[in-house]
Amino acid sequence: MRGPLPLAVAFLAGMFMIVSFFSPHPAVEKASGDFLNWVSIVSGFSILLGVVSIAQNNLAKVKRRQKEWPYAVVLLVALAVMLAGGVLEGTDSGTVYDALFQNVQAPMMTTMFSMLAFFIASAAYRAFRARTLQATLLLGTAVIVMLGRIPVGQAIYDGLPDLANWIMAVPNTAVQRGIIIGAALGGAATALRIVLGLERTYMGRG
Amino acid sequence: MSFLVMTITALFTLALYSFLYKDNPVYRFAEHVFAGLSAGYYAGLIFQTVLVQQLWVPLWGGQAWLILPALLGSLMFVRLSPKHAWVSRVAIAFVIGANSGILVMQQLHGLVLPQVAKTFVSMASVQGVLIVVGVVCTLIYFYFSKPHTGVLGGVATLGIWFIMISFGAHFGYTVMARVSLLIGRVQFLVIDWLHLTS
Amino acid sequence: MSLAKRLESLDRRWIFLLIGLSVVLPMFLPITFPERITSQTQALYDTMESLPEGSVIMVPFEVWPSTLPETEPIARAAVRHAFRRQMKIVSLSNVGGGGPSIADRVLREEGNAAGKVYGIDYVNLGYRANYLAVLSGMGTSIRSIYQTDYSGTPVDSLPLMRNVDSYKDVAFIFAIADNATLDYWVSIVGERFGAKIGAGVTAVMAPKMFAYIDAGQMVGLLGGMKGGAEYEKLLGLPDQSTRGMGAQSLIHLLIIAFIVLGNVGFFLSRRNARPA
Repeated sequence: MRGPLPLAVAFLAGMFMIVSFFSPHPAVEKASGDFLNWVSIVSGFSILLGVVSIAQNNLAKVKRRQKEWPYAVVLLVALAVMLAGGVLEGTDSGTVYDALFQNVQAPMMTTMFSMLAFFIASAAYRAFRARTLQATLLLGTAVIVMLGRIPVGQAIYDGLPDLANWIMAVPNTAVQRGIIIGAALGGAATALRIVLGLERTYMGRG
Repeated sequence: MSFLVMTITALFTLALYSFLYKDNPVYRFAEHVFAGLSAGYYAGLIFQTVLVQQLWVPLWGGQAWLILPALLGSLMFVRLSPKHAWVSRVAIAFVIGANSGILVMQQLHGLVLPQVAKTFVSMASVQGVLIVVGVVCTLIYFYFSKPHTGVLGGVATLGIWFIMISFGAHFGYTVMARVSLLIGRVQFLVIDWLHLTS
Repeated sequence: MSLAKRLESLDRRWIFLLIGLSVVLPMFLPITFPERITSQTQALYDTMESLPEGSVIMVPFEVWPSTLPETEPIARAAVRHAFRRQMKIVSLSNVGGGGPSIADRVLREEGNAAGKVYGIDYVNLGYRANYLAVLSGMGTSIRSIYQTDYSGTPVDSLPLMRNVDSYKDVAFIFAIADNATLDYWVSIVGERFGAKIGAGVTAVMAPKMFAYIDAGQMVGLLGGMKGGAEYEKLLGLPDQSTRGMGAQSLIHLLIIAFIVLGNVGFFLSRRNARPA
C-alpha cells in the first residue's frame, strides 16, 4: 500500500494529463480543467506545509534556547503579524497585510538583491582573470556587450551596439538554443520516468 | 507614502546595507523580519486564494466534490508525523504525477520541436549556418557519455568557444540587472526619502 | 608594497564605496542619453500598435519584489501603452511571493491615473498555486482555475470577463517576468494554445529569450532597464528606466575598469613571480 498506491496515483494523474493533451473532446477538456483546479488546490496545501515547517523549526529553536534564538522570535512575530493580517483583513490594498508587503517586505527583498551589484563589482576586480584564451574570450565578449548596451559605447564606436546585438542574436542564440534543447530532452525523460514510476525520489523516505 | 512609512522602509534598507561593512545584529534583525514577513505573506495568500476562494466559497456554493481535493491536500500535513508520514505520499504523488504529465508534452512539444525546427529552417543565410553550427557544437559539448577526443573533441572545443561567448554576453547582461536593482534602491533613499535631488 | 601587491590586496570595501558613489553622483547630474532602439523592442511596440483599439490583452506579473526596479518601470510602460490604446487588461500572477500584490498596486495606480475603472477596463485575477496547472487549465477555461478575482469578487460579475474565458479571447499576452515561469508561458500558452506572446524581462533572463524570438515563439522583448528605456522613448514617456541609464552607463564603465585593473594586477604579479 505504501509503495504501489502513490505510484498508481502518479501514473494515473500523469497519463490523464498526457491523454488530455491530445484529446479534442469537450468532455475531456472540461474534466481536464476541473482536474487541474484540484491539482492547484492540493499544491496550495504543500506551500502551507512549508510555512508550518518554518514555524515549527523556529519554535523549536526558541524552546531549546539554541544559538541566536532571539532572532527566531523576531521571525515568528513577523510571520504571525503578516498571517493574522492576511487572514483577518484580507490581502487587498489598504490592509495591514498589503501595507507590510509594499512598505517593508518588498523593499527589503529588493535591497537584498541589490547588494549583488557590489559583489559582482568585487568579483569583477578580484576573480575575473584572463588566464586562458577561453577566459579572455568570455571577458572580451562581456566588455563588448556591456559597452554596446550603454550610449558611451556608441560614442566610442558607432557599430558597437550592432556588434553587441549580433553577439546576442547569433552565437548567444545558438548556445541558448542548444541548452534549451538539451535541458528539455532531459526534463521530458525525467518527467516520463516519474509518470512510469521509475523515478521515486520525490516520495522521500518513510 | 507618508514620511514616517518611508523612514521605516529606509531604516530597514540601511540595516540590510550595513552587511556590506560587516555582519552585525542590526542586519540579522532585519533579515529575520524579512524572512518572517515572507513566510507570513505566503500563508496569508494561500489562506485567501486556496482555502477561501478555491474551496470554502465554492463548497458552500454547491460544488460539494471539492471536498475531495481538500481532503487530499490535508493529507500533506500528515507528513509532520514521522510515524504516518507515508500517507502524505499520495498527495505528493498526485501533484508530482500531474506536473510530470504536463511537463512531458511541454518539454517536447513546447520547447524541443519548435527550437529544432527553427534551427534547421534558418540555414539559408550565413548567420543561420552559424546558429546551426553553434547549436550542434553546444549539444556535443554537453554530451559526456563519450570521451571528448578526436573529431568529437574538436567539435566540443568549438562548442566551448561558442559557450564562452554566450556566457560573456550573459555576464554583461547580469551586471546591468544587478546594477538596476541598486539604482532603484538608491533612488528611493536619495530622491524619495531624503529629497536631496529631484 | 609593489603596485601589483597593492592591486591584488585592495580591500573590497573600497570597491563597494566606488560603486555606491557611481550610483549616487548621476542623480545630481540628471543627464539622459539618446536611446538606440533595438529590433526586439521595436517589434514588441509595433505588435501592440497593430492590435485593434479596445482589444483585450493579458499582462501577467510573473515578478518577485526583488526585481522591481527593473520590472516595475517596464510593467508601467506596458500598462500605459495598453490604456493609451483603450485596451482592456486581464492580469494575474503565478508568483506567490508577491506577484499579485505588485500587479494590484501597479494596475490600480496606472488605472486611476488614466481614468480607468476596475472590472471594466482591467481585472486582477490574482494568484493560484502551481503554475503548470494554472497555465494549462486556463487554456481550457479561465473559470476552471479562477472563479474569483484577487479580491474574491466572482469573475462572472466583472463586465470585462463576460466574453473572456480562455487564451482565444485574448489578443496578445504581454508578460512581465523575472523567472522561468515565462518559459512555460511560451511553451504551454504559446505553443499548445497558440497565443501571441511578448515579454518584458530582467536583463538576466534576456539572453535566453533571444532563442525564443529567433524561433518565432515570442514576437518581441524588452531586456532589463535598457529595454524599458527604449520602450519609454517609443512611447514618448521617459520615466524611471530612462532616468536610471545615466548611472547604468557609469557603473558599466567602472566594472570594465575593475576587470582591466584586476587583470593588470594579476599579470604584474605573475611577471614578478617568474624566476629571473
